[in-house]
Amino acid sequence: MQVNQAHYSTPQFSVLSDDQCEMIFRGALEVMERVGGRFFNEEALELFRNSDALVTDDTLVKIPASMTLRALKDSPSKITLCSRDGKRDVHLGRNEVYFGTGSDCPFIYDRETGERRRYTCNDVYDAARVADYLPNIDFFMSLGLASDVQHDETYDRHQYFSMVSGTSKPLVVTAVDGEGLRDLYEMEQLIVGGEDEFRLNPRFAVYIEPSSPLAHGEEVLEKLLYCAEKQIPAIYTPCPSAGATAPATLPGLLVQSLAESLQGLVLAHLKKPGMPFIMGGVITIMDMKTSNYCYGAPELSLSCAALTDVSKYLNIPMFSTAGCTDSRAVDEQAALEAQISIETAFLSGASLVHDVGYLDSGLNGSLEMLVLCDEIIGMVKHLGKGITVNEDSLAADVTDQVKPGGNFLTHSHTHKHYKQEFYFPKLLDRHNVETWRAQGRSTILDHVNKSLNNILETHQPEPLPEGVEEKMKQIIKKADEKAAEGKKG
Amino acid sequence: MTLQKIADAMVEGDVETGKEMAQKALDEGHSPNQVLDDGVLAGMEVVGERFKNYEMYIPEVLSSAKVMHEVMEILRPKLVSGEQASNKGTVVLGTVEGDMHDIGKNLVGLMLEGAGFKVIDIGIDQPAKNFIEAVKKENPEVVGMSALLTTTAPKIKEVLDALEAEGLRDKVKTMAGGAVIDQAFVDENGVDAYGPSATAAMEITQQLVDEVRKNAS
Repeated sequence: MQVNQAHYSTPQFSVLSDDQCEMIFRGALEVMERVGGRFFNEEALELFRNSDALVTDDTLVKIPASMTLRALKDSPSKITLCSRDGKRDVHLGRNEVYFGTGSDCPFIYDRETGERRRYTCNDVYDAARVADYLPNIDFFMSLGLASDVQHDETYDRHQYFSMVSGTSKPLVVTAVDGEGLRDLYEMEQLIVGGEDEFRLNPRFAVYIEPSSPLAHGEEVLEKLLYCAEKQIPAIYTPCPSAGATAPATLPGLLVQSLAESLQGLVLAHLKKPGMPFIMGGVITIMDMKTSNYCYGAPELSLSCAALTDVSKYLNIPMFSTAGCTDSRAVDEQAALEAQISIETAFLSGASLVHDVGYLDSGLNGSLEMLVLCDEIIGMVKHLGKGITVNEDSLAADVTDQVKPGGNFLTHSHTHKHYKQEFYFPKLLDRHNVETWRAQGRSTILDHVNKSLNNILETHQPEPLPEGVEEKMKQIIKKADEKAAEGKKG
Repeated sequence: MTLQKIADAMVEGDVETGKEMAQKALDEGHSPNQVLDDGVLAGMEVVGERFKNYEMYIPEVLSSAKVMHEVMEILRPKLVSGEQASNKGTVVLGTVEGDMHDIGKNLVGLMLEGAGFKVIDIGIDQPAKNFIEAVKKENPEVVGMSALLTTTAPKIKEVLDALEAEGLRDKVKTMAGGAVIDQAFVDENGVDAYGPSATAAMEITQQLVDEVRKNAS
């Protein structure tokens, strides 16, 4: 037998060394001590005042490194998200990668007219059904921002209802404010059965976004503190753009992004030590010709992969970004930008990779793009599976049996292995040119549309448990009534 | 019922069940021809159709072909001569001189056998004179030539010239296939037909056989 072998069965990829991760981390600690962050929430400021942090100038909070290190020690490196039937499907931790949609795109291209229009609750429901169907989408965010509601202040409850009706997969939710989040949490408990059950089997994580550079708004902190109180997994994820709301150098961008996430981490742990926290970011550049906030830039993938290295160094689950594009249409640019970001995010080993299906720099949530990306993710996952080298897979015996000039097509070894070894694409065309011509010279977008039509026509999600819909609607109604009352007053 | 199970075993690529059911069908009193038509060929028809629609993988089709061969081993001694010879048509197949590739040709052969044609496969790296010999001996309706390489494709023309020289050109129809062959190539070189896939070859062979028989009558 062989000894002292180094085995790899998967490709190895990283951007930063441990020493470089430490430099980024120390950079963030320095920013937190020297520059600080603005916190626009009284409860947050009170928590900081009663701690070792320094609160000056009303809202500016400077956090000593010792506090950050203590919070990091308490922060869990493993968080599990569950599907509606209680299956513990999504295990967040280093190098376990899950893909999902993004949230909050205001627009969609209407499938009938092709015109750009506002997202509706029904679009969110359709997006949920498509995500529910697609095998490589592991969690669901609303993709679009439901606009056909009476009160903007309660859109989150309506949107959440469309999400949970359309898919059983684990969710990442957005909420208007602390009160909105409380309603979503109560609606979800109708499914999981109670707070203790939710804590052990969380059904959703909450997307919370501070404002770069280094500012944390009132509602943002309400949501973060509510997550801490109830121990709901919180994704605290800034969206800085290098050169505009962060330094133009990528290490400077990383330092600031990390500082913003860690400021949230320290606060959340002041409220409840050990609460489940996920760091992250859509960290990218501003295009210096158009001022576009870039979703398809190589800098996005590079800096997200680097931040993922830092997250693994700190043992905190990472919320990364991929499968999105600056292109205004589902076209060649969209495909190539999505492919680069998906492959990079996957190989980086980020925990939750979101924004799959984004067109138009995050303004258009596209079901076509989502279907296309599902295939890209399938191919990238196959690449990530790597190669298992052993006696059977080396196949010397088989080659000996086939002999020079023979073929492997009829050998039992082929029958045994090809379905596992090979990737079987659903949308890619590998027909020869005559067949391709005979089938109407279809392109991948034709296949995407055919597949999407089929999903929308046929896929029925698991219905909500008996009686749940009614009780959810009561919670929504109460919120709507309160919003109407507020407008009168 | 038993015949259907033979057809199912063909589709599943289940050799053991195929053989067992073939024996059982004979024991139950079905004629060898019934077993052939309603079991074996019925099964291969499903396989051919599914393969054509890309619902089956090539190794699965080859497994089905293996079931067919095993069941034929049981049937062959019981089929009286005359019945055994296929009347659907005979095809001589070969890869042309200098070309060692045979997977595509084999696949075509299997699909044609499955469709009920008699297939004489003369193998790989075959010079024109071997095609001529086979045509003289087997008297086929169709000659199929395979080439994978741009360097060996011109050898197809040599086979056609040899058929012409021997006065056999009007007695058979010719078809060609392989990675470098396309419709333009067969048109330029005077080959009668081209098929882009094994399943296309099945349909083309049927047309060519029909044409040869029509001309002969």
